[in-house]
Amino acid sequence: MTEPLLRIRSLRVWFPVGTALFGKPAQLRAVDGVDFDLKAGEALGIVGESGCGKSTLARAILRLVPSTAGQIVWMGQSIEAWSTRQVRPLRRDLQIVFQDPLASLDPRMTVGEIVAEPLRVHAPELSRAERRERVADMLRRVGLSPDVINRYPHEFSGGQCQRIGIARAMVLRPKLLVCDEPVSALDVSIQAQIVNLLQDLKRDFGMSILFVSHNLAVVRKLCERVLVLYLGKPMELALTERLYSDPRHPYTRGLLAAVPIPDPAVQPLRLGTALGGELPSPLSPPSGCVFRTRCPMAESECAATAPSFDEVSEAHQVACWRWREK
Amino acid sequence: MSTVLSIRDLVVQFSTPDGVVPAVNEFSLELVPGECVGIVGESGAGKSQSFLAVMGLLAGNASVSGSARLGEAELLGNDREALNAVRGSKLAMIFQDPMTSLTPHLRVVDQIGESLIRHRGFSKAQARQRALELLRLVQVTDAERRLDQYPHELSGGMRQRVMIAIALACDPEVLIADEPTTALDVTIQAQILALLAQLKRERGMSMVLVTHDLGVVAGIADRVVVMYGGRIVERGAVKDILLAPQHPYTRALLASMPRIDEVGNAPLQAIGGQPPNPRSLPSGCAFHPRCALAADRCANERPALNVAADRAVACHFPIRGDAHD
Repeated sequence: MTEPLLRIRSLRVWFPVGTALFGKPAQLRAVDGVDFDLKAGEALGIVGESGCGKSTLARAILRLVPSTAGQIVWMGQSIEAWSTRQVRPLRRDLQIVFQDPLASLDPRMTVGEIVAEPLRVHAPELSRAERRERVADMLRRVGLSPDVINRYPHEFSGGQCQRIGIARAMVLRPKLLVCDEPVSALDVSIQAQIVNLLQDLKRDFGMSILFVSHNLAVVRKLCERVLVLYLGKPMELALTERLYSDPRHPYTRGLLAAVPIPDPAVQPLRLGTALGGELPSPLSPPSGCVFRTRCPMAESECAATAPSFDEVSEAHQVACWRWREK
Repeated sequence: MSTVLSIRDLVVQFSTPDGVVPAVNEFSLELVPGECVGIVGESGAGKSQSFLAVMGLLAGNASVSGSARLGEAELLGNDREALNAVRGSKLAMIFQDPMTSLTPHLRVVDQIGESLIRHRGFSKAQARQRALELLRLVQVTDAERRLDQYPHELSGGMRQRVMIAIALACDPEVLIADEPTTALDVTIQAQILALLAQLKRERGMSMVLVTHDLGVVAGIADRVVVMYGGRIVERGAVKDILLAPQHPYTRALLASMPRIDEVGNAPLQAIGGQPPNPRSLPSGCAFHPRCALAADRCANERPALNVAADRAVACHFPIRGDAHD
């Protein structure tokens, strides 16, 4: 298949902030020039620290926030300028699972109503009986008993609520499932259940996944490729195993080194290698390479010109002047 | 060896309209000078409540029994005045959410200086000078300017550093850190943990680190206490607990964590079910409904915490593998 399911080109999402009495308001560059393709059935992880633009990028792709410039090409059609009404039919194929499992479920609706709602909106041709059948089937697929349809979200634990949210997103059999930090609010033992569930669903239904997460260990389990963002800009994009075994961007290396490993023989030493500093304000990003203020390898060249997002090998892109050095 | 903090048979219960809810049962811990003990468990395991009890910070409907001694001073059941003499000076605590635990309308300098003025009789000018030193100690950038800022002007990582500076102000004997890095990015978490490790190493501070993340304890703790359903299920040296766990829960928790250094996408070994609700703890061993090794006995008889050499485990069928090196 040549045409990717989703093609993102030079995508920018800027938010005006503050109201200047004279002149233009400042622009917060949440997403600032992102390119990638997503193939059918592929899972792409989007990682970075808070404020790197990963959630905004996901929401812009779903057209939940307007993009400022660039292209969002969904199955060959540029949808970035479509009206809400034009986008609506696409929602059947583009679904999302949110971070906070309870807050993203309507507390006044029963579980059955919650999971059936996308069907009522997007598949009105289904009879009541067919709809009920589809809901029961999907609840079983996410590991819940169909008996739960008459109960309310508050009666369930966080992990079960996340299963309900996944059932709601999957009931239309979407082509793309966007997951925005879907396991971050869950207990450790429950995280593994949800990660395994997403793996199973992906295998069985073959949908693509955009997996937004700050948890690089979870991303490694679930995704075939990973995009690393910093201050709205892509730093590195690579196949998962390549990214974790041979990261080329100093930011990627810093992120990976920060994830704790539950082994007392190695972890105390890793602590000493922590990436310094904090994310600069996106209102006044550094000149040249935006990462240079925290980069252990930065030199004068990095402040002058931003590196382009170069292909360093097949399917591996890096935005760094010094990617050839270890 | 002498102990700096000694907790014996701590019991915490909450009386609610639905009856008495046990949060912590028979919790004991001896903290020796200069060591860091990690307290690990999931939501509702009782790990935070144990130390809120020690600090006298439990909700109004809580009742506490047992003993918690800091040196010679008994902390439990003490009146407020006696507790205040210890809190913030000999015993300090930092919390998960640095925004809600800082006072929003007070400048950084006043929040750090408060305990110095109260406990050490510092003047305002002395407190300001010491606050500046403390901010530098916890590696706050641009420390001079930060003194006069308010919490909302600081990033999350910076707020947690300010919290640590407040806690360190009076040079406490024991620092209790309750999920100090859970709300932070991994990069900032690594910085804060490196800072805590440095404080422990250079100042010989005793530390209790409450966390749900076994990776966090691996980097800094000397010993680990694993809690489940309000009780200690396993306790021992960090190396023993993480590399050769004897309790099935500890082993399952380790196996359920995805690891950054693990190649491939083999399914995680999830623990079925969910952490128990303290309102309705399972009979016998609280972990038995989720335990792969459970037998009839586990549902009927609660296993006692078996202390042997320098580790302890509460299980009828502990895992005894080959000794590791």
